[in-house]
Amino acid sequence: MYKRRQGFGSWIAVIVLTLYCLIAVVLIGNMIISSFKTKQDLLFNTFGFPAKISLENYRQIFVTDSLYKNFFNSVILTMLSIASLVFISSMSAYGLSRYRFKGRQALEMYFLLGLMFPIQIAILPLFIIMRSLNLTNTFLGMILLYTANMSFSLFIFSQFFKELPDALHESAIIDGASELTIFWKIMMPISKPVIFTVMTVSFVQIWNDFYLPLVFLAKRSLHTLTLAIYQYLANFLAYWNFVFAAATFALIPVIIVFLVFSDQIISGLAAGSIKE
Amino acid sequence: MTKSKAYIGFITPGFILYTVFMIVPLGFAIYYSFFSWSGMGAMDFIGFDNFKRIFFEPRMSGIFRNALGNNFRYMAIAIFVFIPIQVGMAYLIHLKVHGHNFFRLMIFLPYVISPSIVGFFTLLVFDPNIGMLNTLFLTLGWTNLVSAWFGSPDIAFFLLVGVIGWNGLGVGMVIILANMKNIPEDVVEASIIDGATVWQRFWRVELPFLQPSIINVVVLSSIFALTQFDIPFIVGGLNGGIDGKLDFLNLMFFRYTFGDAYFGETALGFGAAISVVVFSIIFMIALVQKLVFNRLFNR
Repeated sequence: MYKRRQGFGSWIAVIVLTLYCLIAVVLIGNMIISSFKTKQDLLFNTFGFPAKISLENYRQIFVTDSLYKNFFNSVILTMLSIASLVFISSMSAYGLSRYRFKGRQALEMYFLLGLMFPIQIAILPLFIIMRSLNLTNTFLGMILLYTANMSFSLFIFSQFFKELPDALHESAIIDGASELTIFWKIMMPISKPVIFTVMTVSFVQIWNDFYLPLVFLAKRSLHTLTLAIYQYLANFLAYWNFVFAAATFALIPVIIVFLVFSDQIISGLAAGSIKE
Repeated sequence: MTKSKAYIGFITPGFILYTVFMIVPLGFAIYYSFFSWSGMGAMDFIGFDNFKRIFFEPRMSGIFRNALGNNFRYMAIAIFVFIPIQVGMAYLIHLKVHGHNFFRLMIFLPYVISPSIVGFFTLLVFDPNIGMLNTLFLTLGWTNLVSAWFGSPDIAFFLLVGVIGWNGLGVGMVIILANMKNIPEDVVEASIIDGATVWQRFWRVELPFLQPSIINVVVLSSIFALTQFDIPFIVGGLNGGIDGKLDFLNLMFFRYTFGDAYFGETALGFGAAISVVVFSIIFMIALVQKLVFNRLFNR
């Protein structure tokens, strides 16, 4: 690879990049530190360290506001949606990329339309369809929506399945395996890295999703963490000391997942977007 | 590839879900856009009246043009300002400047922060009374720099664009960075041996190889620009901020479709017409971009 450049110019670049990255460090650091301040402390000492570490904000959001319920809503919704999305989109991608039939290419194009038109754009008829199926204010409805929004995952799976050698399938057929067994017992195990990529990328997207829960989960008991944080923000002046704790609590799991799986998330997003 | 009917079984579940929840709604939106309908009760067929209202009714067309203008302005900034920044950042990381792994991680990090929290950060930094910037300027005595920030019509839009950019720049950057890894090394080495400077090497040798990823980021950013909702809604509210400076088409759509609590009416037919306009614009922009790219690169 290239020689590492350490000229004057590269030092300026490093300083500029460092300053840019400091924005995130300062914002997240300040949020965490402030979450341990009392309202009084926050008022007079907005950006310094807490005079005394107080867990009052956390007590309030967990015990009084039961924010953990929103956390569990987010966990359940995200996990079930990812499971359903991986299952259905991998099957469709497998059918599309490993079998030869008439209209295969047209069907693949059809499935990829969703990359061009985000699900939000037809939210209104979607709302009417969901309402007539009694799926508004249900997790089932949300899971179906996140699964239907499968173009990106399907694309990643298809790229992978297309690369697999035909011999894999042929030898299994000779051994008398059924098509479903081949998919389940042979294809799924070797797809682990792709499954993982799809899971991590969809985790970030579904966990943070704002629009679909805003429209379809109006009922307060079903609010996800992102919506709950929004509710706090809407009443910011009354609750601003709690917002720090609530936002910290909401952000930490994502940051941990990101730091542990950053390579999968980053390469997954990049892989899904480079088409020839 | 195999010839077997088994594909039907594999594709059908996904096909049904995708069709019912992704494609059918698009079709229905077009259908509803020709009706006057509150969502309940009778639907009156009114032909193109909803569209006429969007384009020609004085008040509504003003709101529409303002929102559409903001979408386009954001798209222009994304393409002509953000993409060069993304290419620059990716290139520095690609050249392995000191701490390049850390930079890649930290530039991407804001993307995983949920829009509500980004909205909260925005408030923390820019709030005129308690925000970090005004507090800092007052402490330093630089009172002429104290500003209303999002309350100031001249700068509110650009601040919002900055916030959205900070949140999402990392995605385009990693897409371009992944492409840089595919630049053939021997070509680059040959140019170094021929005595090309870093600038020449970048412009003449490496940049042409980045064409596929840059085109992709242009297309993705444009779709993203035309469907803006989350952060403008959280930061500027449902009415599109001060003087409508933070209004976008999707916000306008949401206001007239679901905003019953605020405006005393739900106009689903009218809302559908707005969304039809939005996806026609996306479609046209995609088409124009494809033609431009084909012409430019003789593809």
